[in-house]
Amino acid sequence: MIGNVGAVFVFEWKRAFTWPRMTWSIGLAAFPVFIIGLVRWTVNAEARGDGEIWRTICIVMLFGLIPMLVTMLGTLLWSSPAISSELERRSWVYLAVRPNGGTAVLLGKYLAAVTWVIPPALIGLTIAVPLAATGDTWRIWWAMTRLVLLSAPAYAAIYLVLGVVMPRRAMVLAVAYTLIFELLISFIPAVINKFTVQFRLRSLTVEWCDLSLLTNEQQWMVMAQFGTEPPWHHVTALIVLILCLTGFAVILLRAKEFPMSVESDA
Amino acid sequence: MIELKNVTKLYGKVIGVNDFTLTLGTGAYGLLGPNGSGKSTLLNLITGQLRPTLGTVKVLGMSPRNNASLFRRMGYCPGGEGMYSEVSGYDWVCFLQRLHGMSVRDADLAASKALELVGMTSSMRRPIASYSRGMRQRTKIAQAIAHNPDLLILDEPFNGLDPIGRHELTEVLRDWIGIGKSLIFASHLLHEIESITQSFLLICGGRLLASGTAEDVHAMMVGLPNEIALRCSDPHALAMRLMGERAAESVSIAGDTLTVATQHPLTLYEKLPGWLSLWGLRVVEMRSADESLQALFNSLMKMHRGEL
Repeated sequence: MIGNVGAVFVFEWKRAFTWPRMTWSIGLAAFPVFIIGLVRWTVNAEARGDGEIWRTICIVMLFGLIPMLVTMLGTLLWSSPAISSELERRSWVYLAVRPNGGTAVLLGKYLAAVTWVIPPALIGLTIAVPLAATGDTWRIWWAMTRLVLLSAPAYAAIYLVLGVVMPRRAMVLAVAYTLIFELLISFIPAVINKFTVQFRLRSLTVEWCDLSLLTNEQQWMVMAQFGTEPPWHHVTALIVLILCLTGFAVILLRAKEFPMSVESDA
Repeated sequence: MIELKNVTKLYGKVIGVNDFTLTLGTGAYGLLGPNGSGKSTLLNLITGQLRPTLGTVKVLGMSPRNNASLFRRMGYCPGGEGMYSEVSGYDWVCFLQRLHGMSVRDADLAASKALELVGMTSSMRRPIASYSRGMRQRTKIAQAIAHNPDLLILDEPFNGLDPIGRHELTEVLRDWIGIGKSLIFASHLLHEIESITQSFLLICGGRLLASGTAEDVHAMMVGLPNEIALRCSDPHALAMRLMGERAAESVSIAGDTLTVATQHPLTLYEKLPGWLSLWGLRVVEMRSADESLQALFNSLMKMHRGEL
């Protein structure tokens, strides 16, 4: 089984070296660099004033651009169509009649999506963090790197499940989920936001980057949706979420029927 | 080898397969039915892609649904295309063998051997997108046989093959049967199946209408009206002559085509060339209803309903 997953993983990586995909990766890496560079260029050193405020702005931007936007978009593009792409090209049946073929394809593509998204995110991060000139480049780079390493598998797992639940509308469902849950509900200061990846990542950012938001009473009112649990708690929650979601995707896939040729037959 | 007990498959309110009961021993079988008859649904059930709404399916003594042990012993060539167009035929077949748990080296050997068997060695490194339909068909068959399965299931394998390709594939499949392997082979063309095996399963409307050898099927058709369409230079003259020879029960003419209904088609086939020569008439096209599978199935369906 592990060998089968590995075979799919290697095959997907080989197939990924195409100009469109490479262009996407370069775009994903370049976008945060471009935005941070633009802000840095627009806001001159004098206007940056208090270093702490500039640092906070940069951390929020880096978080929003890399562990959120780049990994979300990257995993959405590669993970959610894991099954639908096979169904659309009618190749699913070739894979499904192999021993544990469906499961191997699902997990192999999941791993390929995660490992395909992480490099551009880290490249972008490695260029964007020094560009931000926050004064503690290494610390922020290390914090963001850990966030990327958690964010990519977590979002990929969510999109993987959505792709299995509704393969024909996987992208639409993934975008809807992202907008509703990760960008809206995650900001609601209630128990429900603890079920979102965004909440966990946001809380970890505050902890690992030692943001001063929590010490300011007025800002605390605005940012009340940050968790107060220790970082290990959030990390554990994300790892459990990743394992549960990938397991659920496998179970769901094995239970579902994806008949081919029925259109011309029944 | 295959056992279906009262299998029904519903797609919502549409019946794919209707109360299908069948037991097949080891051997080669042609699954014959017109387009839309339920062949692919049946193959989907046998390969575990679908779960029956009612009844049970066993293949090689096992339930086919998510069954890794069975998939190791089964090869399937689907009717549709569906291969990755940007990779080479070799990479595609090799990848699918890796999914059988083969090492890189074993997958390489298995893929190369299977592609050689179907005559694709010279083109196997080219992208599938550059293949002709026949070449893609051969590649599909190679992926099905490369892991040396005990049971090979082919859905319309001759689609897109030229006469030479058909002949070569026929030889491959005959050799396959010759070494004692099992084969299920779906087609809507009678002669394709007859070239491989004499055992038929006739399916129409999701039902098993008949099973047996070609002789059994023909025997069932004895005494049934058989229609033959003849496109000729003077259909009125030909109709008059055939009625005069009592070679037809009824005739109808549409344009230059004469349709003859007869209960003795073989007699007509034997005598027609001589008559045409004698009467100085020319027939440019002849289509026998016996070769039209839909007509055969229509007759069998009528028999099934007790109308004949």
